[in-house]
Amino acid sequence: MLVLTRRAGESVMIGDDVVITVLEARGDVIRLGIQAPRDVQVHREEVYRELQDANRAAASPTDDAVHAITQMLQKPGE
Amino acid sequence: MTTRTMSRPIEATMTDPSLGLPTISMAVPMPGFPAHKEFVLVRLNDDGLLYALTSLDNPELRFLVAPPEPFFPEYAPEIDESVFAALNTKDPDRVLLLTVITAGKEETTANLLAPIVVDRDSMRAMQTVLTGSGYPVRAIMNRSY
Repeated sequence: MLVLTRRAGESVMIGDDVVITVLEARGDVIRLGIQAPRDVQVHREEVYRELQDANRAAASPTDDAVHAITQMLQKPGE
Repeated sequence: MTTRTMSRPIEATMTDPSLGLPTISMAVPMPGFPAHKEFVLVRLNDDGLLYALTSLDNPELRFLVAPPEPFFPEYAPEIDESVFAALNTKDPDRVLLLTVITAGKEETTANLLAPIVVDRDSMRAMQTVLTGSGYPVRAIMNRSY
C-alpha cells in the first residue's frame, strides 16, 4: 500500500483523471473530495461491499426460485 | 409434478436471449460483475412485472428484476444528474427503473438502495446507489398490490 502524507487542500492523483483532495481533517474524521470520470463509480467501501454481496446473492436464481416468485407475483384470482 | 411443466415456458424464453431483443449496455458494470456489460431484458410473466436481466456475455448469469412501483408505491428515488449523463439520457421520463430481486428460501427481497436505471432511448443502463436515501438493500416484497 502506498502511504502518503497530505495536508488539507492538498490532493492525490490516481491515474490521469482521478483526483482526491483532503478537504478537512478534524480529530479522527477526514473529509475527502473526489473527482472522477463518469464511468468510475465512487462509493464508500462498506456500501460497495454490501451492494456487491447483494448482487451476488441475487445472481442466477434457480428455476424453482424463479417459478416461486412468478407465482407470488400473480394477481389474486388468476 | 406440475411445477416443472409450469416453469417450462420460462425456460423457453431464457434459452436464447439473442432473439432480436434489444441489447442493454451497462454504462458501468454492476458491482460484483465487472465482466458483464451487455444484457437483454427477458419478460417472465404476462403482467410485465417480472423480467430476467440476462447477460449476453454469459447467459448463465441473470438477475430477476421488476419495476418497483406496484410493490413499493411509496418508493420515489431521486436519480442523480450524473446517472442521466452516464446514460446519455435526453428525456428523464424515458428511463425505466428496475429493482433487483433476491430469491431466498425464507423471503424474497428487493434492492431499493440500488435500482437499475435503464434509458429506453440510448439502451444504456446502470445500477445506481441512492446514497443517503435510507432505502434498504433488502426490502421484503409485498404480495398484495
